[in-house]
Amino acid sequence: MPRRIVSDMAMVRGRTILLILALASPSLAHAADPIMTFAESAAFLAKNCGAEITANCRGVNLDSNRLKECLSRNQDVASPQCRANFLVPFDQIQKRINARAMVAQSCRLEIIKLCHGSTKETSKSVPCLMTAKGVSRNCTQATVDAGYR
Amino acid sequence: MRARNLSLRDLGLLLTFGVALAAASPATQAAAPPAPARDDIVNALNKFESGPELDLPTLKQKISERSKMRGKNEPEPAKRPLIVPELKDLPTFNLAIQFDVDTPIILPESYETVGRLADALVNSGLLPYTFLIVGHMDSNGKREANVILSQRRADALRDVLVNTFKISNKRISSLGLGEEQFIDQAHPTSPVNLQIQIVTLGKVPEQEPGATPAATPAAKKSAKKKK
Repeated sequence: MPRRIVSDMAMVRGRTILLILALASPSLAHAADPIMTFAESAAFLAKNCGAEITANCRGVNLDSNRLKECLSRNQDVASPQCRANFLVPFDQIQKRINARAMVAQSCRLEIIKLCHGSTKETSKSVPCLMTAKGVSRNCTQATVDAGYR
Repeated sequence: MRARNLSLRDLGLLLTFGVALAAASPATQAAAPPAPARDDIVNALNKFESGPELDLPTLKQKISERSKMRGKNEPEPAKRPLIVPELKDLPTFNLAIQFDVDTPIILPESYETVGRLADALVNSGLLPYTFLIVGHMDSNGKREANVILSQRRADALRDVLVNTFKISNKRISSLGLGEEQFIDQAHPTSPVNLQIQIVTLGKVPEQEPGATPAATPAAKKSAKKKK
Protein backbone atom coordinates (compact mmCIF):
# COMPACT_ATOMS: atom_id res chain seq x y z
CA MET A 1 0.00 0.00 0.00
CA PRO A 2 2.58 2.62 0.99
CA ARG A 3 4.54 1.96 -2.20
CA ARG A 4 1.45 2.65 -4.25
CA ILE A 5 0.87 5.95 -2.45
CA VAL A 6 4.46 6.91 -3.12
CA SER A 7 4.13 6.13 -6.83
CA ASP A 8 0.83 8.06 -6.98
CA MET A 9 2.49 11.00 -5.38
CA ALA A 10 5.33 10.83 -7.87
CA MET A 11 2.80 10.82 -10.69
CA VAL A 12 0.99 13.80 -9.25
CA ARG A 13 4.29 15.60 -8.84
CA GLY A 14 5.23 14.79 -12.42
CA ARG A 15 1.94 16.15 -13.66
CA THR A 16 2.34 19.28 -11.57
CA ILE A 17 5.77 19.87 -13.06
CA LEU A 18 4.37 19.43 -16.56
CA LEU A 19 1.54 21.82 -15.76
CA ILE A 20 3.93 24.42 -14.38
CA LEU A 21 6.11 24.05 -17.46
CA ALA A 22 3.10 24.50 -19.72
CA LEU A 23 1.96 27.56 -17.78
CA ALA A 24 5.39 29.10 -17.47
CA SER A 25 6.22 28.96 -21.14
CA PRO A 26 3.17 30.25 -22.99
CA SER A 27 5.17 31.21 -26.04
CA LEU A 28 6.57 27.70 -26.26
CA ALA A 29 3.10 26.20 -25.95
CA HIS A 30 1.83 28.32 -28.82
CA ALA A 31 4.84 27.93 -31.07
CA ALA A 32 3.42 25.08 -33.12
CA ASP A 33 -0.20 26.25 -32.92
CA PRO A 34 -1.84 28.25 -35.65
CA ILE A 35 -1.69 32.01 -35.15
CA MET A 36 -4.60 33.22 -33.04
CA THR A 37 -7.31 35.26 -34.73
CA PHE A 38 -7.58 38.88 -33.59
CA ALA A 39 -10.74 37.96 -31.68
CA GLU A 40 -8.96 35.10 -29.91
CA SER A 41 -6.03 37.31 -28.96
CA ALA A 42 -8.29 40.07 -27.70
CA ALA A 43 -10.42 37.61 -25.70
CA PHE A 44 -7.27 35.99 -24.28
CA LEU A 45 -6.05 39.36 -23.08
CA ALA A 46 -9.40 40.20 -21.48
CA LYS A 47 -9.63 36.78 -19.84
CA ASN A 48 -6.16 36.83 -18.30
CA CYS A 49 -5.73 40.54 -17.56
CA GLY A 50 -9.27 42.02 -17.61
CA ALA A 51 -9.22 42.68 -13.87
CA GLU A 52 -5.76 44.28 -14.06
CA ILE A 53 -6.78 46.49 -16.96
CA THR A 54 -9.86 47.68 -15.05
CA ALA A 55 -7.89 48.24 -11.84
CA ASN A 56 -4.61 49.69 -13.12
CA CYS A 57 -5.08 50.75 -16.73
CA ARG A 58 -8.41 52.51 -16.61
CA GLY A 59 -8.28 55.16 -19.27
CA VAL A 60 -6.01 53.13 -21.54
CA ASN A 61 -7.62 51.72 -24.65
CA LEU A 62 -6.89 48.44 -26.45
CA ASP A 63 -3.65 49.80 -27.85
CA SER A 64 -0.66 47.52 -28.45
CA ASN A 65 1.88 50.02 -27.15
CA ARG A 66 0.12 51.86 -24.36
CA LEU A 67 -1.77 48.92 -22.90
CA LYS A 68 1.24 46.62 -23.03
CA GLU A 69 3.32 49.34 -21.38
CA CYS A 70 0.71 49.85 -18.64
CA LEU A 71 0.41 46.14 -17.92
CA SER A 72 4.17 45.65 -17.72
CA ARG A 73 4.54 48.71 -15.49
CA ASN A 74 1.98 47.26 -13.06
CA GLN A 75 3.31 43.71 -13.05
CA ASP A 76 4.06 43.72 -9.33
CA VAL A 77 0.34 44.02 -8.54
CA ALA A 78 -0.87 41.75 -11.35
CA SER A 79 -2.16 38.21 -10.83
CA PRO A 80 0.29 35.41 -11.71
CA GLN A 81 -2.08 34.48 -14.55
CA CYS A 82 -1.88 37.95 -16.08
CA ARG A 83 1.84 38.26 -15.48
CA ALA A 84 2.55 34.95 -17.24
CA ASN A 85 0.26 35.62 -20.21
CA PHE A 86 -0.03 39.32 -20.96
CA LEU A 87 2.60 39.35 -23.71
CA VAL A 88 1.06 36.44 -25.62
CA PRO A 89 -1.91 38.26 -27.21
CA PHE A 90 0.21 41.25 -28.30
CA ASP A 91 2.73 38.84 -29.79
CA GLN A 92 -0.01 36.92 -31.59
CA ILE A 93 -1.59 40.09 -32.97
CA GLN A 94 1.80 41.14 -34.32
CA LYS A 95 2.35 37.69 -35.88
CA ARG A 96 -0.97 37.92 -37.67
CA ILE A 97 -0.14 41.40 -38.97
CA ASN A 98 3.32 40.25 -40.11
CA ALA A 99 1.69 37.32 -41.89
CA ARG A 100 0.21 39.77 -44.41
CA ALA A 101 3.69 40.67 -45.62
CA MET A 102 4.44 36.94 -45.95
CA VAL A 103 1.59 36.60 -48.45
CA ALA A 104 3.50 38.81 -50.91
CA GLN A 105 6.42 36.38 -50.58
CA SER A 106 4.61 33.03 -50.46
CA CYS A 107 2.11 33.95 -53.17
CA ARG A 108 4.46 35.85 -55.51
CA LEU A 109 3.93 33.56 -58.49
CA GLU A 110 0.20 33.27 -57.90
CA ILE A 111 -0.27 37.04 -57.58
CA ILE A 112 1.62 37.75 -60.81
CA LYS A 113 0.67 34.78 -62.99
CA LEU A 114 -2.80 33.80 -61.79
CA CYS A 115 -4.14 37.13 -60.58
CA HIS A 116 -2.16 39.55 -62.78
CA GLY A 117 -1.58 41.72 -59.72
CA SER A 118 1.37 43.29 -57.97
CA THR A 119 3.12 42.06 -54.84
CA LYS A 120 3.34 45.69 -53.73
CA GLU A 121 -0.42 45.78 -53.38
CA THR A 122 -1.09 42.28 -52.18
CA SER A 123 -4.49 43.06 -50.73
CA LYS A 124 -5.83 43.85 -54.21
CA SER A 125 -5.01 40.30 -55.33
CA VAL A 126 -6.39 38.58 -52.25
CA PRO A 127 -9.98 38.09 -53.49
CA CYS A 128 -8.48 36.47 -56.62
CA LEU A 129 -6.16 34.24 -54.56
CA MET A 130 -9.21 32.88 -52.72
CA THR A 131 -10.81 31.49 -55.87
CA ALA A 132 -7.90 30.98 -58.28
CA LYS A 133 -7.04 27.39 -59.23
CA GLY A 134 -3.50 26.12 -58.83
CA VAL A 135 -2.62 28.10 -55.71
CA SER A 136 0.30 26.44 -53.89
CA ARG A 137 -0.09 25.01 -50.40
CA ASN A 138 2.43 27.56 -49.10
CA CYS A 139 0.43 30.42 -50.48
CA THR A 140 -2.84 29.04 -49.11
CA GLN A 141 -1.27 28.71 -45.66
CA ALA A 142 0.02 32.29 -45.86
CA THR A 143 -3.47 33.59 -46.61
CA VAL A 144 -4.84 31.59 -43.67
CA ASP A 145 -2.17 33.00 -41.32
CA ALA A 146 -2.94 36.54 -42.43
CA GLY A 147 -6.65 36.04 -41.75
CA TYR A 148 -7.72 36.52 -45.35
CA ARG A 149 -9.58 33.19 -45.45
CA MET B 1 -27.77 0.58 -20.99
CA ARG B 2 -28.46 1.74 -17.46
CA ALA B 3 -25.15 3.50 -17.22
CA ARG B 4 -25.87 5.29 -20.48
CA ASN B 5 -29.25 6.47 -19.24
CA LEU B 6 -27.65 7.75 -16.09
CA SER B 7 -24.96 9.67 -17.90
CA LEU B 8 -27.53 11.23 -20.21
CA ARG B 9 -29.60 12.32 -17.25
CA ASP B 10 -26.50 13.66 -15.56
CA LEU B 11 -25.71 15.61 -18.67
CA GLY B 12 -29.24 17.04 -18.63
CA LEU B 13 -28.84 18.05 -15.00
CA LEU B 14 -25.49 19.65 -15.73
CA LEU B 15 -26.98 21.55 -18.65
CA THR B 16 -29.90 22.79 -16.53
CA PHE B 17 -27.47 23.90 -13.88
CA GLY B 18 -25.29 25.62 -16.45
CA VAL B 19 -28.23 27.46 -17.97
CA ALA B 20 -29.37 28.53 -14.50
CA LEU B 21 -25.88 29.85 -13.78
CA ALA B 22 -25.69 31.68 -17.09
CA ALA B 23 -29.10 33.20 -16.47
CA ALA B 24 -28.14 34.26 -12.97
CA SER B 25 -24.88 36.01 -13.86
CA PRO B 26 -26.30 38.98 -15.83
CA ALA B 27 -28.33 39.89 -12.74
CA THR B 28 -25.17 40.47 -10.72
CA GLN B 29 -23.22 42.20 -13.49
CA ALA B 30 -24.22 43.70 -16.80
CA ALA B 31 -22.48 41.08 -18.92
CA ALA B 32 -21.29 41.93 -22.40
CA PRO B 33 -23.32 40.20 -25.11
CA PRO B 34 -21.47 37.43 -26.96
CA ALA B 35 -19.21 38.57 -29.79
CA PRO B 36 -20.79 38.19 -33.25
CA ALA B 37 -19.44 35.60 -35.68
CA ARG B 38 -16.90 36.93 -38.16
CA ASP B 39 -18.81 35.66 -41.18
CA ASP B 40 -22.03 37.29 -39.97
CA ILE B 41 -20.24 40.66 -40.08
CA VAL B 42 -18.70 39.86 -43.48
CA ASN B 43 -22.00 38.71 -44.99
CA ALA B 44 -23.87 41.75 -43.72
CA LEU B 45 -21.33 44.23 -45.05
CA ASN B 46 -20.24 42.75 -48.39
CA LYS B 47 -23.56 43.36 -50.13
CA PHE B 48 -22.50 46.67 -51.55
CA GLU B 49 -23.12 48.11 -54.99
CA SER B 50 -22.74 51.85 -54.73
CA GLY B 51 -23.08 54.53 -52.08
CA PRO B 52 -23.36 58.27 -51.73
CA GLU B 53 -20.37 60.59 -51.43
CA LEU B 54 -20.43 61.79 -47.82
CA ASP B 55 -18.67 65.02 -46.92
CA LEU B 56 -17.77 64.12 -43.35
CA PRO B 57 -16.39 67.48 -42.12
CA THR B 58 -19.55 69.26 -43.30
CA LEU B 59 -21.75 66.56 -41.77
CA LYS B 60 -19.92 66.81 -38.45
CA GLN B 61 -20.55 70.53 -38.36
CA LYS B 62 -24.22 70.08 -39.25
CA ILE B 63 -24.67 67.48 -36.51
CA SER B 64 -22.90 69.62 -33.94
CA GLU B 65 -25.01 72.67 -34.83
CA ARG B 66 -28.29 70.81 -34.62
CA SER B 67 -27.38 69.36 -31.22
CA LYS B 68 -27.12 72.92 -29.90
CA MET B 69 -30.64 73.87 -30.98
CA ARG B 70 -32.67 75.19 -28.08
CA GLY B 71 -35.72 76.53 -29.91
CA LYS B 72 -39.30 75.94 -28.73
CA ASN B 73 -40.18 74.28 -32.00
CA GLU B 74 -37.50 71.58 -31.61
CA PRO B 75 -39.19 68.20 -32.11
CA GLU B 76 -39.01 65.65 -29.31
CA PRO B 77 -36.31 62.95 -29.72
CA ALA B 78 -38.62 60.35 -31.27
CA LYS B 79 -39.71 62.83 -33.96
CA ARG B 80 -36.36 64.30 -34.99
CA PRO B 81 -35.71 63.92 -38.71
CA LEU B 82 -32.69 61.77 -39.63
CA ILE B 83 -29.58 63.88 -39.93
CA VAL B 84 -27.74 61.54 -42.31
CA PRO B 85 -30.62 59.66 -44.01
CA GLU B 86 -28.17 58.22 -46.60
CA LEU B 87 -26.83 55.81 -43.97
CA LYS B 88 -30.15 53.98 -43.71
CA ASP B 89 -29.73 52.49 -47.20
CA LEU B 90 -26.18 51.19 -46.72
CA PRO B 91 -25.11 47.71 -45.51
CA THR B 92 -24.90 47.97 -41.72
CA PHE B 93 -23.85 45.81 -38.78
CA ASN B 94 -24.61 46.77 -35.18
CA LEU B 95 -22.02 46.06 -32.50
CA ALA B 96 -22.80 46.17 -28.77
CA ILE B 97 -19.41 47.48 -27.68
CA GLN B 98 -19.28 48.48 -24.02
CA PHE B 99 -17.41 51.63 -23.05
CA ASP B 100 -16.43 52.96 -19.66
CA VAL B 101 -18.95 55.56 -18.42
CA ASP B 102 -18.67 58.89 -20.24
CA THR B 103 -15.37 57.91 -21.89
CA PRO B 104 -14.22 56.41 -25.21
CA ILE B 105 -12.45 53.58 -23.34
CA ILE B 106 -13.53 50.13 -24.51
CA LEU B 107 -14.09 47.72 -21.61
CA PRO B 108 -12.19 44.38 -21.65
CA GLU B 109 -15.57 42.60 -21.87
CA SER B 110 -15.83 43.93 -25.42
CA TYR B 111 -12.28 43.23 -26.60
CA GLU B 112 -13.36 40.02 -28.31
CA THR B 113 -16.06 41.86 -30.26
CA VAL B 114 -13.53 44.46 -31.41
CA GLY B 115 -11.14 41.67 -32.42
CA ARG B 116 -13.95 39.97 -34.33
CA LEU B 117 -14.61 43.20 -36.22
CA ALA B 118 -10.90 43.43 -37.08
CA ASP B 119 -10.97 39.79 -38.27
CA ALA B 120 -13.94 40.61 -40.51
CA LEU B 121 -12.30 43.72 -41.97
CA VAL B 122 -9.15 41.73 -42.85
CA ASN B 123 -11.15 38.91 -44.42
CA SER B 124 -10.98 38.75 -48.21
CA GLY B 125 -14.75 39.30 -48.44
CA LEU B 126 -14.44 42.82 -47.05
CA LEU B 127 -11.00 43.83 -48.39
CA PRO B 128 -12.45 45.69 -51.43
CA TYR B 129 -14.52 48.08 -49.30
CA THR B 130 -14.25 51.19 -47.17
CA PHE B 131 -16.27 51.65 -43.99
CA LEU B 132 -17.76 54.24 -41.70
CA ILE B 133 -17.85 53.66 -37.96
CA VAL B 134 -20.93 55.38 -36.64
CA GLY B 135 -21.31 56.30 -32.97
CA HIS B 136 -24.78 56.73 -31.50
CA MET B 137 -26.25 57.67 -28.12
CA ASP B 138 -29.63 57.32 -26.43
CA SER B 139 -31.60 60.44 -25.52
CA ASN B 140 -30.42 60.43 -21.91
CA GLY B 141 -27.89 63.09 -21.01
CA LYS B 142 -27.14 66.38 -22.72
CA ARG B 143 -27.80 66.44 -26.43
CA GLU B 144 -24.65 68.38 -27.27
CA ALA B 145 -22.41 66.21 -25.07
CA ASN B 146 -23.91 63.10 -26.65
CA VAL B 147 -22.69 64.13 -30.09
CA ILE B 148 -19.20 64.74 -28.73
CA LEU B 149 -19.06 61.44 -26.82
CA SER B 150 -20.37 59.41 -29.76
CA GLN B 151 -17.75 60.98 -32.02
CA ARG B 152 -14.97 60.25 -29.52
CA ARG B 153 -16.12 56.63 -29.22
CA ALA B 154 -16.29 56.14 -32.98
CA ASP B 155 -12.83 57.72 -33.26
CA ALA B 156 -11.48 55.46 -30.50
CA LEU B 157 -12.72 52.30 -32.21
CA ARG B 158 -11.24 53.51 -35.47
CA ASP B 159 -7.89 54.16 -33.74
CA VAL B 160 -7.86 50.65 -32.24
CA LEU B 161 -8.56 49.09 -35.64
CA VAL B 162 -5.89 51.17 -37.34
CA ASN B 163 -3.18 51.18 -34.65
CA THR B 164 -3.60 47.81 -32.96
CA PHE B 165 -4.85 45.63 -35.80
CA LYS B 166 -3.26 47.66 -38.62
CA ILE B 167 -6.35 48.02 -40.76
CA SER B 168 -5.48 50.65 -43.39
CA ASN B 169 -6.63 54.11 -42.25
CA LYS B 170 -7.75 54.74 -45.84
CA ARG B 171 -10.47 52.13 -45.34
CA ILE B 172 -12.04 53.46 -42.14
CA SER B 173 -13.54 56.79 -41.16
CA SER B 174 -15.71 57.66 -38.18
CA LEU B 175 -18.77 59.77 -37.43
CA GLY B 176 -20.63 60.48 -34.19
CA LEU B 177 -24.37 61.04 -34.56
CA GLY B 178 -25.12 61.46 -30.85
CA GLU B 179 -28.89 61.45 -30.42
CA GLU B 180 -29.45 63.18 -33.76
CA GLN B 181 -30.21 59.84 -35.41
CA PHE B 182 -31.30 56.83 -33.38
CA ILE B 183 -30.82 53.16 -34.12
CA ASP B 184 -34.31 52.65 -32.66
CA GLN B 185 -36.09 55.94 -33.10
CA ALA B 186 -39.34 54.67 -31.56
CA HIS B 187 -37.51 54.12 -28.25
CA PRO B 188 -34.96 56.95 -27.89
CA THR B 189 -34.00 55.99 -24.33
CA SER B 190 -33.36 52.32 -25.18
CA PRO B 191 -29.79 51.03 -24.66
CA VAL B 192 -30.05 49.64 -28.21
CA ASN B 193 -29.15 53.19 -29.24
CA LEU B 194 -25.76 52.94 -27.51
CA GLN B 195 -24.50 50.47 -30.10
CA ILE B 196 -21.81 51.25 -32.63
CA GLN B 197 -22.72 50.74 -36.27
CA ILE B 198 -20.30 49.75 -38.96
CA VAL B 199 -21.47 50.79 -42.42
CA THR B 200 -20.05 49.92 -45.85
CA LEU B 201 -19.40 53.28 -47.44
CA GLY B 202 -17.59 52.63 -50.70
CA LYS B 203 -15.02 50.67 -52.65
CA VAL B 204 -11.28 50.93 -52.21
CA PRO B 205 -10.02 52.83 -55.29
CA GLU B 206 -8.81 50.43 -58.01
CA GLN B 207 -5.37 52.02 -58.14
CA GLU B 208 -3.52 53.90 -55.46
CA PRO B 209 -3.11 57.59 -56.44
CA GLY B 210 0.68 57.28 -56.40
CA ALA B 211 0.79 54.13 -58.53
CA THR B 212 -0.05 55.66 -61.92
CA PRO B 213 2.60 58.43 -62.09
CA ALA B 214 5.26 55.94 -60.99
CA ALA B 215 4.28 53.51 -63.74
CA THR B 216 4.27 56.10 -66.53
CA PRO B 217 7.94 57.21 -66.31
CA ALA B 218 9.00 53.57 -66.29
CA ALA B 219 7.00 52.94 -69.44
CA LYS B 220 8.56 55.99 -71.08
CA LYS B 221 12.04 54.80 -70.20
CA SER B 222 11.49 51.39 -71.75
CA ALA B 223 10.06 53.08 -74.82
CA LYS B 224 13.18 55.21 -75.08
CA LYS B 225 15.43 52.20 -74.75
CA LYS B 226 13.70 50.54 -77.63
CA LYS B 227 14.54 53.47 -79.86
